[in-house]
Amino acid sequence: MKLSTLVTASVLALAAAPVVAADKTINIAGFGASSGVVGIFGQNSGAAMAAAVEKINAEGGVTLADGSKAMLATEFYDDRCNAEEGISVLRRIASTDALVAVGPTCSNVAEPLFGILQAKVDDAGDTGLQFPVFTDVAIKGGLAGISEWVFRNTPSEATMYDNLFAWIRETHPDAKTIYGGVEEDFAHSRFTWYSVMKTAAEAHGFEVVGEAQWLLNDTNFSNQARGMRRAEPDVVAISAHPFTTCGMLREMDRQRIEPKVLVGLTSSSSLETLTGCANEAEGIIIPTSFAPVNDEAKAAAAAVEAKGGQLDLHSASAWENIMILKDVIEAAGIEGTAESLEEDRRKIRDGLATLTEAPGLLGANKRMPDGEAVKPYVFVNAESGNWEVLHNPGS
Amino acid sequence: MDYFFFIDLIQSTVDGLLFGTTYALIGIGFTLIFGVMRKLNLAYGAAALAGTYIGLVLFLTFDAHPAIVFLASALGSGAIGLVVYLCCFRFTPTHYPMASLLASVGMLLFIDEVVIHASHGLPYPYPSVFRDAIIEAGDIWIRGDLLFVFFMCVVAMAILFWLLYRTPLGLATRAVSQQPRAAQLCGIDVTRVNMMTFGIAGILGGIAGAMTAAAVGVLSPVIAMGLTVKGLIVVVIGGLGSIPGAIIGGLLVGAAENIFLLLRGVTERDIYVMLLLFIFLTLRPGGLFGSAQTRD
Amino acid sequence: MDFYLGLLQIIGVHTLLGLSAYVVLLTGQVSMAQAGFYAIGAYVAAMCTAMFGFHILPAILVAGFLTAAVACVVGFPALRVKGLMLVVATLAFGEMVRLFFFNFTWQVERGGELIGPNGAEGFRAIRFFPENGWEIWHVTGFIWIVVAVVMGALWWIDNTRAGAVLRAVGHDETAAQSIGLNLTAVKVGAMTLGGMIAGMGGGIYAHTVTHIEHLVFGVLLATFAIAYPILGGLGSVFGTLIAVIFIQGFLVEGLRFLGDWRSLLFGALIVLAMNFRPTGLLGERMPRIFKRRTGEKLELKEAE
Repeated sequence: MKLSTLVTASVLALAAAPVVAADKTINIAGFGASSGVVGIFGQNSGAAMAAAVEKINAEGGVTLADGSKAMLATEFYDDRCNAEEGISVLRRIASTDALVAVGPTCSNVAEPLFGILQAKVDDAGDTGLQFPVFTDVAIKGGLAGISEWVFRNTPSEATMYDNLFAWIRETHPDAKTIYGGVEEDFAHSRFTWYSVMKTAAEAHGFEVVGEAQWLLNDTNFSNQARGMRRAEPDVVAISAHPFTTCGMLREMDRQRIEPKVLVGLTSSSSLETLTGCANEAEGIIIPTSFAPVNDEAKAAAAAVEAKGGQLDLHSASAWENIMILKDVIEAAGIEGTAESLEEDRRKIRDGLATLTEAPGLLGANKRMPDGEAVKPYVFVNAESGNWEVLHNPGS
Repeated sequence: MDYFFFIDLIQSTVDGLLFGTTYALIGIGFTLIFGVMRKLNLAYGAAALAGTYIGLVLFLTFDAHPAIVFLASALGSGAIGLVVYLCCFRFTPTHYPMASLLASVGMLLFIDEVVIHASHGLPYPYPSVFRDAIIEAGDIWIRGDLLFVFFMCVVAMAILFWLLYRTPLGLATRAVSQQPRAAQLCGIDVTRVNMMTFGIAGILGGIAGAMTAAAVGVLSPVIAMGLTVKGLIVVVIGGLGSIPGAIIGGLLVGAAENIFLLLRGVTERDIYVMLLLFIFLTLRPGGLFGSAQTRD
Repeated sequence: MDFYLGLLQIIGVHTLLGLSAYVVLLTGQVSMAQAGFYAIGAYVAAMCTAMFGFHILPAILVAGFLTAAVACVVGFPALRVKGLMLVVATLAFGEMVRLFFFNFTWQVERGGELIGPNGAEGFRAIRFFPENGWEIWHVTGFIWIVVAVVMGALWWIDNTRAGAVLRAVGHDETAAQSIGLNLTAVKVGAMTLGGMIAGMGGGIYAHTVTHIEHLVFGVLLATFAIAYPILGGLGSVFGTLIAVIFIQGFLVEGLRFLGDWRSLLFGALIVLAMNFRPTGLLGERMPRIFKRRTGEKLELKEAE
């Protein structure tokens, strides 16, 4: 930055200062892993939140209880996907003037974190932390039920996979058998195969002919693929992270396993799988709660990219969360003063709890009584290095 | 005992043996360093991974030939090995091994994080050769790329043997590993030998990293911890400071891992590998080829 | 305020973990099994309170004694080897424990819900503290009372003959043996004591985070356990405490504002610290202020 620009900027900032000071600021904190192996999730979420806040502020900010306008502000805290750090970060956020926190990114942070919150609101015997958390990324099923202070805007995998298998039944009537591949030592992958995909596939008349299991940092999949080859499944569903998904797909390729349909884990519908193994992933079908299918979604994706992030199904939730929180703040009559901090946090919690529907990038999200969401979704498949929309049940 | 089980058993063993050569290379690296310095370098696996990433950069930016990528991975890892030596071992006291141990832990965390920072933790495709070639012997398939990995590792070991037993440098290295003080008295520059050892061990690690990545086809930072732990196990089974021990240990671990995977499933596989190691250690504390422990 | 109390909880729990490795390190052994002992303590204590309705205090004592028993049994075969061999043997044991809990499922019904360890999905709802009306400062106070008792006991041991024996074995095994010390007894004793402390620490840890799973207790945690006493220095129990404060308070919490650069600095600063203070932040000797009181005994020991 040139000196002159700097001077001009400072003068402008000084001139604008009195106006800004009259305005109030509403703080929304973001947290999650922004360093470490899964740091990309937090980096994208942080960028999406910053972009969403910028958009709202450019449109005039949020309206408070007394009719005045306030600007939103956001800050992102790194928890390195570590349970203790996540708890510490949330306590730190609760000690600032933030009204609500958006995070975390890892399910293994979310579980303990939700455990330290008060389980039931107004339960005087429960000394858990009282602070609203609106989760964007941590996706493992059924977590919001742990505490009434927790709300999630993550897609409901149960609904998505149920409909996906119904759709596969329809489009591939001759497909009869399914083979599962699951990363055994990661809670989310495990949960999604055993409690979501398997159930949904069986409900739609697929016969599970086998399961291949491997671990997070495995590098050799030949045994697992051999079992799969012998079962000759029509459908193969893989519930794993991109690294092992890629490894397994390569091995399947090598052993010439060619199922009619290949299904992947929701969170693999990100850039990672494509940078890792675009060729092998070709044709894999994944249900996702985000794809740039309409103008609003495209504009949001561009705004997030300008902030140095990627808008995928995870960070899209972060963007939506800010938008939903704006509506909640306006509807709940937030005062935004230091004295009303406790009350305002409670109002946001109650506001989120009463929602039955919230706007989303792909259409309205249904809000469930247990704090979970059921979001509109599309089926995408990998096609020459891009995620292309295969089927849009909403349209 | 049906036919498939028998085939699976042979196939698993073959795959495991072929893959085990990468473990053997990592094990040799640990053993070399331990041999000359009597110290544990925990940053070794991470350095091997970082070197592999240097090769990957060439692949992604210039679409370089696999041979160049492998070479760059090996040399890059060697260079990082030297950095590890300078940062963790050169200036820490020799009589207090805890200092260099912890410094190498710090280095492990640092290198890991640099790699993650640069790659955003994304998995990237890594080139391999003969990936579609498969030798079919009846129902047993032998992967061409694993054969290549095996071949490369064997070549690397052969060169290492030539270096150690046919060159003055090797003589110096062996001298330092037998008796550092006596070697010094004979005019051998111990620091130089140490540096060379770290460089050579680094190159071996880089080859192992590159071969692992080539066999999987994808490179991700998550493999560093696995390399480190496997390497340590191999050294211990083979016996400290013994290169033939490390080779046999590597093959043994590779095969045992795959057989337990077949017999007990993936969730219990590592329990049995660890249990085997634990029993092995307590029954034969010196390892397969270990010499009797003497007092320095 | 709650945030600082929460941070103090983390520091307290990690101090226990570090002290458990400190005891073993005094005898010159690097044990990577501490994360395994910590895991046993965590699961046992959590099962006691969440599944069987124990109070926290007996739960932690049960966890401590049980882990001590396991450590004692493991100590006999493991301590036949030393140096790198021991590092790997204990590492193997730690991983075995972790993988055991990875495969371990045992749930009972309490209050209409299934509670207990559930394999790879972990053990959820260990909510003794919030459910029984413990405020955050109660919890912090409780943890630090335990830490103080453990540190006091170790300090006392350090200044008695037992401490001198431990250090004698750590300094030179052959010399120690030649003056009639039973090496196996000393080492296994240290391992047992270390196991007990780790078990108690793990028990408390499970209750502060309410959810535990096998991935937490991996090689990284084992590495941290030995990192604390080495970084702080083996001179006294305070070295471990200082190192935990340095790592958890400064490197982890204090530098959080740096975003993802923090993780880069983390490793680099440890490397720097070991280059400039190779024997630890407080060094190998007991700090001078404490030395005056216990000076005589120490002089004796250093003179050997």
